Amino acid sequence: MILALSRTELTLLLRNKTAASLALAMPLLLGALLLVNDTSDWTLTITLQLVMMLGFTVYTTVTTSLVARRQDLYLKRLRTGEASDRVVVLGLLVPATALGLAQAVVLLGISRAAGAPLPDRPLLLVLAVVGGAAMCCAAGVVTSGITSTPELAQITTAPFFFALFGGALWTWASDTVDHRMLLVPGGQIAELVKAALGGATDNVVPATASLAAWTAIGAALAVRHFRWEPRT
Amino acid sequence: MTNPVIQVEGLRCSYGDFEAVRGVDFDVAQGELFGLLGTNGAGKTTTMEAVEGLRKATSGTVRVLGSDPLADRRAIRPRIGIMLQDSGFPGDLTVAEMVGFWRSTSSRTSDAASAIEALDLGHRRDVRIKQLSGGERRRLDLLLATLGKPEVLFLDEPTTGLDPESRLHVWEVVRGLLAEGTTVVLTTHYLEEAESLAERIAIMHAGRIAVAGRVSDVLARQPARIGFDVPAGFDVGVLPMLYGDVVHEPSGRVEVRTGELQRDLGELLDWARGDGRVLTGLRANHASLEDVFHAVRTDEKVTSR
Repeated sequence: MILALSRTELTLLLRNKTAASLALAMPLLLGALLLVNDTSDWTLTITLQLVMMLGFTVYTTVTTSLVARRQDLYLKRLRTGEASDRVVVLGLLVPATALGLAQAVVLLGISRAAGAPLPDRPLLLVLAVVGGAAMCCAAGVVTSGITSTPELAQITTAPFFFALFGGALWTWASDTVDHRMLLVPGGQIAELVKAALGGATDNVVPATASLAAWTAIGAALAVRHFRWEPRT
Repeated sequence: MTNPVIQVEGLRCSYGDFEAVRGVDFDVAQGELFGLLGTNGAGKTTTMEAVEGLRKATSGTVRVLGSDPLADRRAIRPRIGIMLQDSGFPGDLTVAEMVGFWRSTSSRTSDAASAIEALDLGHRRDVRIKQLSGGERRRLDLLLATLGKPEVLFLDEPTTGLDPESRLHVWEVVRGLLAEGTTVVLTTHYLEEAESLAERIAIMHAGRIAVAGRVSDVLARQPARIGFDVPAGFDVGVLPMLYGDVVHEPSGRVEVRTGELQRDLGELLDWARGDGRVLTGLRANHASLEDVFHAVRTDEKVTSR
């Protein structure tokens, strides 16, 4: 059942040109563009590539498509079927998440081909990608609850989106990383990428905890504030 | 009632401070079509949503096929079909894709091709849903709700906005399901729809059921009407003694509202024959649901027996 929901959602995503270009072309294009510039700092390049993927492909896509499906009264229809509420929402999250993970693989592959070193601790890189995707899914569902139209999503997604980038750059640029940076979404991602590429591992535990906390709080808020129908 | 498929007792539902449903009771028997009628905002859709398991009741109990539709949603959903008053489609899917998708989320077995044909959508199967007309979308709606022949079917205003031909088509599909034993709960604005399909109806007003019963009984409780054009030089005084009330309408008609249709009609005809009068535009009929509806709406006291 979840597969059927996801397949249909993927079809819808690919048939909407705006959503498809945002989710597919944008991160790949920008991610590749990064390589044209100075690539002496691979930590920065890979961090930005991953954050771009998380921000555009997972977070923004999840938010926008949930709002669009709600506005079409399609969410309301899905509730009349056999799938439970949870299955419906998870089914709709799968395509954006899967696209994001696939892009991470492609972007990391491109970087590797362009001369990036293999990560010293690949599992931490996997943690950054998968944990980041989970956090962005939860955040996207929450954001969809406070967004009434797909057009408004451009505004409502901005704070979390910039927190992702800002946090990542703040952490990357700081020689000594403290807990404030790790609390910002994006900050923990950058710290995990640093550690994966041979940096210090002192902050891996707090960074992972912060990632888990953002995901858990997001999921709890998402469950409480999810809206199946447009506001009337 | 033996073996009710749906039992609703003391149902109340609130939105914040506003109580939309204020104590509703009804039962629906296996294989019957129960019509829920009412003015706009009477609470029909809220009642339906509570029975479908989409809305939590403030108080009261709802049983569908013996279970709580909300708590036992997983057990009940495979056995019921729901057509909401307003639910939408992703416009970028084609008709066939939507049907295929819905089938794959359903545990009932069904034949997509024949379902599409049965609702006269065969020529539109590869068309994107956003290009369908309103009537076609509504038929697709009904198709999904009835896919795989559910035991219980909920139809919330299934023919609103349909042209007369499509409406008849929908009625035909519903009758077909009834003949196969499906139990149906239907809300509608169209009185002829309820008269034509429903065995029993309840008319809601302001969150309560104002009138309920067999369609014929509900109609029988309302006075019948006799009407004819005003003869030249007419004076109400010349009429024979009638059981019902005589109204001389400014439009030039005489209307009699009577609980004794046969007796009063006989009196009138005898009088006209005796005087050698011709009553032009003579009409006599039982109350219509329209009359009942009107009585409920204007807050006339209509007692339910």
